[in-house]
Amino acid sequence: MNFPVARLTARMLLGQRRTLLVVLLALLPVGIALLFRLAAPADADPERFTARTLLGGMLTGTILPLVSLVFATGAFGQDIEDGTAVYLLATPVPRRDIVVARVAVAWLAAAALLVPAALTAGAIAIQGGDPGIVAGFAAAIAAGSLVYTIVFTWLSIATSRALVAGLLYAFLWEGALSGLFSGIRFLSIRQYTAGIAGTFFDLPASVYQPRLDPLPALVLAAAVGAVFLLLAVRRLERWETGEAA
Amino acid sequence: MPPADPRAGAIYDLGYRAYDGPRLGRRAAVLSLYVFTLRAAFGIGRRPAAKVVPVLVTAFAFIPALIQLGVAALIGSRVEVVAPWNYLGFSEVPVALFCAGAAPEVFGRDLRYRTLALYFSRPLRRQDYALAKSAAFITALAVPTLGPLLLLVIGNGLASEDVPGYLAGHWRELPQSLAAGLLIAAVAGLGSLAIAVHAPRRAHATAAIAAWFLLTLPVAAIIVEVGGGAGRYAAWFSPFDLLYGAALAIFGREPGADSIQGAAGLPIATYLLLALLHAAAALALILRRFQRVQA
Repeated sequence: MNFPVARLTARMLLGQRRTLLVVLLALLPVGIALLFRLAAPADADPERFTARTLLGGMLTGTILPLVSLVFATGAFGQDIEDGTAVYLLATPVPRRDIVVARVAVAWLAAAALLVPAALTAGAIAIQGGDPGIVAGFAAAIAAGSLVYTIVFTWLSIATSRALVAGLLYAFLWEGALSGLFSGIRFLSIRQYTAGIAGTFFDLPASVYQPRLDPLPALVLAAAVGAVFLLLAVRRLERWETGEAA
Repeated sequence: MPPADPRAGAIYDLGYRAYDGPRLGRRAAVLSLYVFTLRAAFGIGRRPAAKVVPVLVTAFAFIPALIQLGVAALIGSRVEVVAPWNYLGFSEVPVALFCAGAAPEVFGRDLRYRTLALYFSRPLRRQDYALAKSAAFITALAVPTLGPLLLLVIGNGLASEDVPGYLAGHWRELPQSLAAGLLIAAVAGLGSLAIAVHAPRRAHATAAIAAWFLLTLPVAAIIVEVGGGAGRYAAWFSPFDLLYGAALAIFGREPGADSIQGAAGLPIATYLLLALLHAAAALALILRRFQRVQA
């Protein structure tokens, strides 16, 4: 871990107005949970709402990829786009260290926002249901944000339109298409995240059931994370100064 | 002042001439800006990488219509799942991603590289520039929003056994589709441009537009579901829910019971009214930005 690079990345990510908007994004589920607590109809099932709608739907389905994408492209794509990446890449810092430091910072930033958001929102909405749901999703979001950050970092290095490509992946592939083709669950970080969360609770299918079992989810998430980290390192090692990204 | 040296200066006639040909003026400038922006939205005249996203996303927007027509052709036309009035429900992700990918490019380069001075020193006025570019983006967005509707209506007509009879019963769907498709393009397009002109970077604009369309959908659905009496107004505040309602109003349909409009129970005409208001407000924001921006 290269701390100067990490510190630089952290300053790049945090010293911006948009970080405030991302914080608002992470607070959204908490607001929704409060609304549910205060105004939900009497026949609503808190476990079903928390698992299916709040944590499994909105947080892991929309907010997790969006926040990871913003941080990953902010940590890497932004200074490639500005042309300032050259100043760091021209130093004798091993490029592997640069990738690892940036992934670590982007992941920590995303997880530091999303895990407390999941815990708070879940604790508010669950109302005496199985606390494993909240713990499971909090742990799974920590793991899922790492995989998302790695994949989106690779995307930032490999393409110049990483943000749009990441949105296509998160919303078209994992969102719209996975409803039609159920095999996509094996190629979807969202489903890995839900599958990992599933280790912590056992709910009837009518309430909530992840589409992947815990073991394949964990193995696939680890494999995808490792492969894309290697690809990102390799891609940056082959990146020549002066090449337009 | 020293006396001029008689040998130092000489004026040569280099043959420079003022332009005295026809000057095309403001209208031609607006038109060429419109055409240029329209081409750029699909990456025509740009490198191949710029074409991938708009073309791919547009293709995805057509897939539900093609599936519907294919199924109707194979097993008869009485299976109508995908229809012009509910089409936005199937194409909302591609439409949002088209906006997120293409809208920041429309004004982004000129704002970032300060090339506006080159435009505004011509007969083109500030509002001409903003209107021409906005109109071009709305036209581009009409390809994924209006195109599939026209394909469905025309395809359904051609697939029916009794074409004159079909025309007599369904001719209204053609102008209705035109109105709905253009309204969706105008509201979504102007809304995303209004976000894009206020974001300092392309990446911020892309993320903000995607969040504006795709994050408000589940949030509005949850608020309508659990929020009770006051929560139902959330259906007005998600752009796609608003446009879905407006399309239902244009086609004179009632919302299904499982849709958010059905759950909210607000009068369907209000969606149309608010959609128009939404477009007007977004246009005002864009125009104001270009009145004030330093060229």
